[in-house]
Amino acid sequence: MSHTITLTVPGDISYTRVASSSASQAAELFLLSIDKLEKKTEFCHAFELAISEAFANAVNNANDLTEPQPITIQFIRKGSTLTATVSDRNKPFSIETPMPDISTYPENGFGLMLIRNVMDCVSYSRKDNTNTIRMSKTAS
Amino acid sequence: MTITETTHSNIHLVALKGALDASTAATLAKNSVLSGNLPTVIDLSGVDFLDSSGLGALVGIARKKRAANSDTLLACLNTNVRKVFEITHAYRLFDIYDDPYTAAEELSKKISAL
Amino acid sequence: MKTLIVIKEQNHAWVRNAFPGIHPLLLTLCNKPYIEYLIDFAILSRSEEIRIMSDGSLGEVEAYCMNGSRWGVELTYSNIRTTDDITTILQKNSRFCRDNRTMVINGFVFVDYDKESQYDSIINTMPDGVIASAENEGCLILRGQERNPDAAPAPSPPINLESIDSIESYYRISLDILKNKSSQFVLPGYGNEPECFIGRNVVISKSAEIEKPVSIGNNVQILSGTHIGPDAIVGSNVIIDKNSTVTESIVLDNTYIGEELDITGKTAFQNMLSDPGTQAVLSMEDPHLLRSTQNNGTLSALLRQITHAITALTIIILLMLPFLLIAPLLMVQGKWKKRLTDYHGAGDKKVISIATGTIPNQGVTGKLASIFSLNRYPLLFRVIKGDLSLIGNLPAAVSDNSSAPDQDNMTHYYRPAVFSYAEAENWPVIGSDAAIVERYYMVHSNPLKDIGMTMKALINLPHKNTPK
Repeated sequence: MSHTITLTVPGDISYTRVASSSASQAAELFLLSIDKLEKKTEFCHAFELAISEAFANAVNNANDLTEPQPITIQFIRKGSTLTATVSDRNKPFSIETPMPDISTYPENGFGLMLIRNVMDCVSYSRKDNTNTIRMSKTAS
Repeated sequence: MTITETTHSNIHLVALKGALDASTAATLAKNSVLSGNLPTVIDLSGVDFLDSSGLGALVGIARKKRAANSDTLLACLNTNVRKVFEITHAYRLFDIYDDPYTAAEELSKKISAL
Repeated sequence: MKTLIVIKEQNHAWVRNAFPGIHPLLLTLCNKPYIEYLIDFAILSRSEEIRIMSDGSLGEVEAYCMNGSRWGVELTYSNIRTTDDITTILQKNSRFCRDNRTMVINGFVFVDYDKESQYDSIINTMPDGVIASAENEGCLILRGQERNPDAAPAPSPPINLESIDSIESYYRISLDILKNKSSQFVLPGYGNEPECFIGRNVVISKSAEIEKPVSIGNNVQILSGTHIGPDAIVGSNVIIDKNSTVTESIVLDNTYIGEELDITGKTAFQNMLSDPGTQAVLSMEDPHLLRSTQNNGTLSALLRQITHAITALTIIILLMLPFLLIAPLLMVQGKWKKRLTDYHGAGDKKVISIATGTIPNQGVTGKLASIFSLNRYPLLFRVIKGDLSLIGNLPAAVSDNSSAPDQDNMTHYYRPAVFSYAEAENWPVIGSDAAIVERYYMVHSNPLKDIGMTMKALINLPHKNTPK
């Protein structure tokens, strides 16, 4: 049986911490519910970081001419896998971005790389003018 | 995010506390010491969370100071913060110490030697 | 006492070239990762905290060693810059080193220690400074407290350092550990015979010969007529095929040694065979060391297809009742999730669309469906149609380029099937582990064996699906 937690957050950068700390707590609850507390800190941090990045990416991708749209975050538990999705109704974007060259002191561009590194599976889809990043991690 | 400024061995020591993410990264640029040209040690012992926006802010500070022939040293990265530096290879840009006062002393010695 | 392990990328750059994909600190010497030897030595020196430092990535090492609780020590990690010297490194770790004697192990060096020696008492009598050194700046340094000037001169510590700076030194040190020094170190492995280390899940054919000293890792298959040893180190997830010989050699993890091969004085890693003496490297086009590959004749392919179809029909009949009873229940409950995906086809069939189903292994109906692998039932009809084999490779999705069959070499060995050989053998079904098993059976299976493997898959799959 799968359990889902849905959170709707205003599309404003000041709410980043609301999104990321919710992710960390959802991950911790998930680990408790499947009775697996090994590598708890690493697992929770992975979701905290991934949601922080995805949320900030969604906010920054907003259309300039419209009011900031709310961003929907979902946590879906299925077996020993926790999946998080971040959906927004902003401009489309690509998750296939190359890693920036750190020697050039870039200030941007690391978000998706961090998400891919900490999550087991990352995918992007766009349907009905809605971007959705789907990220999942299995508790081992 | 709270920012506390002190000095040690005539070097500015800026201690950050809280989460350094997209919502708080911009506050670093408003700090005069961080946005200035003076060599600085940034104490991250109070930073419990850092994402790419926070990292970008630190990299931006380092780049500006470097352009002004100044140094930015970091101190006391916790495991989660270090992980972000590890994934992005940002550790190649900074000298990272486990004690801010030692960092300040070494920076002071380096400046005196010049 | 605390220990700093400082290893820079330039010290072990050769490892990335010789053994790509292996983190140098996790490279196995004999049968244990290199970093574990250093951790063991630090523990023997009574270090309670160890910090591993590098100017490169330590993610894999951190994932493997974690926080050191496995060894009862506190393990931390830190990054340095390539230009940092020892003095700078000590300053960067001043808080770690404060108020403690610190031992610095610098460089990609092998510390030739003896687990029976009392290093803590020896080291406590040594003055600060370099206590052992090796080539390429490798050294062992002590810092922290001055020795009592009235104390008697300390004896030379029984510690030798050797730089692991090439495949030759790696080969020599590994075999030296196996042949002459296995009692000095804590080496993993079962068996109560000295000089013989065998891992878990090792299958040795009755007609295979094993000659000491030998070390064999986990999940290894040693087939009939093979001769392993003396002086052989076989890693984990290895298959040594029939009538092959491995002596004075190292076969690293995830390597397949084909039939009738004679590996002497070499290191074998995936598709590369290296001569440590001359540093010559032979890279195989096939990912594995196989005997001459032969295209299956048309007649044998037809026989296989017929056998698979008949077996599929038999399974369809046997499982028809459970399927007709359970599947509709699951569909009504919304638990039977179907997805249509395009997969690479075999031979002339470029792309085939397969509806894959997932069923939860929960509830009575879900568990029954898992026991009978009913989600695979509809695919059995595709076997009769000729789109799929009954057992072969896991179908490679068209959208996933990493799993696309190699068009040049392996197309005739790619058989998308309802069940995979890896599932039948209960091996990991992803990555190179699955590739080894599947390609082995592509060459060695026959229609009769396929029937047996299908039964095995049907038995093993429910166990795989059962949550632990």
